[in-house]
Amino acid sequence: MSNPTLLPHRERDRRPIRFVAFGLVMLLVFSSLTLRLGYLQITNGRTYAAKAEANRTVTVSIPAPRGLIYDRQGRLLVGNVPSYTVEITPADLPYGQRDTVSAQLGSLLNMQPSDILAIVDSATGSRFDPVRIKQDVPKDTADIVSESAAQLPGVQVVIESRRDYTTGTLFSHILGYTGPIDATAYAQLQSSGYLPSDDIGKAGLEASFESVLRGTYGQNLVERDATGKDLQVLKTVQPAVPGASLTLTIDSKVQTEALKALLWGMKAADLKRGVIMAMNPQTGEILAMVSMPTYDDNLFAKGISQADFQKLVTDPTQPLLDNSIQSQYPPGSTFKLVTGSGALQDRKITPTTQIATRPYVTIAGTKFWDWNHQGFGMCNIGCGFGNSSDTFFYQVATMLGADRLSYYAHAFGFGQPTGIDLPGEASGIIPSNAWKVATFGQPMYAGDTAWAGIGQGYVAVTPIQLITAYAALANGGKLYRPQLVETVTAADGTVITPFKPDLIRTVPVSAANLQTMRLAARETVTLRHTYNLVDMPIAVAAKSGTAEFGVKDAQGRLPYHSWFVGWVNKDPTSKDFTQTNSQLIVVAFAYSAQTIGNAGTEIAKYFFQEYFHIKHDYLLPQLMVKGNFAGGG
Amino acid sequence: MRVMRAEPGRFPDVSSRAVGALWRAYDLQLTTYAALLGAVGLVMAYVNTVEAGQSALSSGGVFQRALLWSALAIVVFLIGTVFDYSWIKTFTWPVYVINIGLLVLTKLIGDGVGGSARWIAIGPLTFQFSELAKILMIGVLAAYLGNREGKLDSLGSILGAVLLVVPPWVLVMLQPDLGTSLVLLAILAGMLFMSGASLKWLIAGLLGVLAAIPLVWAYVLQDYQRQRILTFLNPSTDTQGAAWQVTQAQIAVGAGGPLGVGLTNGTQSRGQFLPVQESDFVFAVLAQELGFIGSVVVFLLFIALLWRVLVSAWRSKDPFGTLYGAGVASLLLFQVFVNVGMVVGILPVTGIPLPFISHGGASLVSIALGLGVIQSINIRQQRAEW
Repeated sequence: MSNPTLLPHRERDRRPIRFVAFGLVMLLVFSSLTLRLGYLQITNGRTYAAKAEANRTVTVSIPAPRGLIYDRQGRLLVGNVPSYTVEITPADLPYGQRDTVSAQLGSLLNMQPSDILAIVDSATGSRFDPVRIKQDVPKDTADIVSESAAQLPGVQVVIESRRDYTTGTLFSHILGYTGPIDATAYAQLQSSGYLPSDDIGKAGLEASFESVLRGTYGQNLVERDATGKDLQVLKTVQPAVPGASLTLTIDSKVQTEALKALLWGMKAADLKRGVIMAMNPQTGEILAMVSMPTYDDNLFAKGISQADFQKLVTDPTQPLLDNSIQSQYPPGSTFKLVTGSGALQDRKITPTTQIATRPYVTIAGTKFWDWNHQGFGMCNIGCGFGNSSDTFFYQVATMLGADRLSYYAHAFGFGQPTGIDLPGEASGIIPSNAWKVATFGQPMYAGDTAWAGIGQGYVAVTPIQLITAYAALANGGKLYRPQLVETVTAADGTVITPFKPDLIRTVPVSAANLQTMRLAARETVTLRHTYNLVDMPIAVAAKSGTAEFGVKDAQGRLPYHSWFVGWVNKDPTSKDFTQTNSQLIVVAFAYSAQTIGNAGTEIAKYFFQEYFHIKHDYLLPQLMVKGNFAGGG
Repeated sequence: MRVMRAEPGRFPDVSSRAVGALWRAYDLQLTTYAALLGAVGLVMAYVNTVEAGQSALSSGGVFQRALLWSALAIVVFLIGTVFDYSWIKTFTWPVYVINIGLLVLTKLIGDGVGGSARWIAIGPLTFQFSELAKILMIGVLAAYLGNREGKLDSLGSILGAVLLVVPPWVLVMLQPDLGTSLVLLAILAGMLFMSGASLKWLIAGLLGVLAAIPLVWAYVLQDYQRQRILTFLNPSTDTQGAAWQVTQAQIAVGAGGPLGVGLTNGTQSRGQFLPVQESDFVFAVLAQELGFIGSVVVFLLFIALLWRVLVSAWRSKDPFGTLYGAGVASLLLFQVFVNVGMVVGILPVTGIPLPFISHGGASLVSIALGLGVIQSINIRQQRAEW
């Protein structure tokens, strides 16, 4: 510091005290700043360093590739393909540019600008989370959107993986589809690592095997800036484990044959809905399963439009409904399996008991007609079942009683879901006194029981229940849970879950009585109740059904469904149905058929001919002609 | 301790001896400290450019512009040194009028954020004339008060100085620019104090200012300015706005720790957690990357520079020189205090740049001009023999 005494000739007062004061202020300023700096950096440095670290890093999930689905022969049915998705990050879209951006984007994506804004505004969650505007955008469009980034603030194109259903509609109901997780499901699954932007299985195997297919998401530690933009991946905390793959029990070749048969029948008989299924009675493996009408899973994979979805939902033929498992119908005469087996087992009849089958029986003052209004004379079970005599089974059902009938129906798997590995399976209805009291407040009347005995009245079953019950007949009494998945295989190729037949129960009907019923089912064919089915070079045992439903037309006639269920022995030419080695059972269902013949039988016959490479015969095309003949049989 | 200078030269005698004396009168230390601070500013401009993901010399980038402005600042500094500062005394009134004119022009055609008018575009560069106004006002006030030597403790001197400051102050407030207006007041207060103005009147004036605060609050401050002050007083009221910025700035500073995380490694700046991180909050970046040690080194550079400015003020035989140095010192001290105080969270958020280090050409060039004039004062002192 200059010493003022060294400057004796200063001609003015420099107020040294003020310089000193200024210096003191300086000292005070820098001391306070340094103290504060020391407090922040030295005393609390670690705390703030941790805060800065927490600020910038965020754990981000790495989606796992979803598991693939193959058919029995290893053909790919569901794969993953890259697709372009256009997103908007609301936080990056300036309010003043909403209209121009949505207008420009709308013209590129062929969407209404108001719809785009509605999607953005309805998004829940953070404004920094991107909102999907349109999925599966063509690459050309995606490139234009990317290149217009300057005019489209907040809009970005990302490449996502989407499901690709390679066979289109062939397996639609079985495979199902995935879709964006909804708020309720997300609330439940958030703790399992689901993200709000995730897709989740919504129908079919995609839904029932969600946990297997999804895989395990990995985690990346990512550096992120204040706007939520990722700067870099710091490290992978946990790698993603791809989902396991499914191999179906179905060979797509057999599925195609089944579809071909059903489509032929639907065209020939002008049907709106139908089902065909094939199963291995020894294991419960489903070999084919087709429900018509159908839809394309790819519509959902590509992000279905509201218009397309509405179209599917409002279609009166309900293409989204899997008729094979999700809806229940009166089984008609096919239900006589239960009535006959129960009566034999409860010793109400023996295999040789002869019962008079008149044109009608009178129960509680009401005439109950046989389907041919003539009857079949004196009949044992083989004659009654083979000709499907209604009067035979009215009487047998009355002997058995409502509750025993219900007991055997449940024993054969009716009245409850079979447990097939698909969601949304219907239970069907099997009336009993308890059921009727609970439902209508009255016990079963004698007429109710008679109707139930021929699979009418309150009885309702699903096609899957019917094939499962007849499979138990064919295999000697083992009720297997129907299964669609042969193996679950991890991404590294190891089999996680090999196929294992799943025995629900052994039907409480003796082997001898079941044999009687099998032979009776063979009589259905040999008596030509199923027309020329018997002329095929293979031997089929079967039961058909004509099930009335709905409301009577002007002539007092009810519309009806046609059913057929039948199997062949391991050696399909063997006519010996004492055997229980069948490896193929088929069910066919024609909704509201109204054909002169049994449309279900003809569809099944067509399938057998496809399956066994038998030349198709069209000897009796009149069977598929409409002609409501008002009767049951 | 500095060695006392030898006999002062007989400027403007042009002899080798005179040149030597001139060189000895030139304060090399002042230039060195200023240059070091300028270098720190360039380093921070480089850091900010790289952290923004741009190449260092990218066209129009912060670093490239900082280099341009630094070159211009050096030129202005040299011009300030070479020209005889007494021209300022001669042309005080034209300078004052030009100053007012530039501020009016800024108000009329200037650009700014959210309806404010703060800078004027000159070709590719923008210039904030309110920064220049600070330095020009120091010259005007120094000339005015220097002329009133002997009457400086009168109320008249104080009122005269205040009246000189009022027009530019009002124009700056109208932009509106609270920060610069505060700097003008700090310069006025600092220069009056150092001129030897009557403490009695200064204290009375200070009380008057305090009494005016409610009026200023109600009628002068803009909503966002009121919000900043409220936020400062009660940070929990605002989680994403001003308080969030302050919190993020403190996190950045604290995260630097004793040694810092290293240049360009500042996570807070790289992630853009800091607002205006190349200008008003640049010290937060510096503190995270260079730590306590680096920050204190920067403080020491400021202290050293202030010290050299005060020494030249003390040395000046000419009262103009003394007052000019006092003005520049007040400006530097106040801006460092308010800017760093804001970053470390002991003062509210005001848009006052950190001299040399905040990115902004007008601030750098204006300070260079001020320091150039101080060197001009240094080398033109006819010192008494002893």
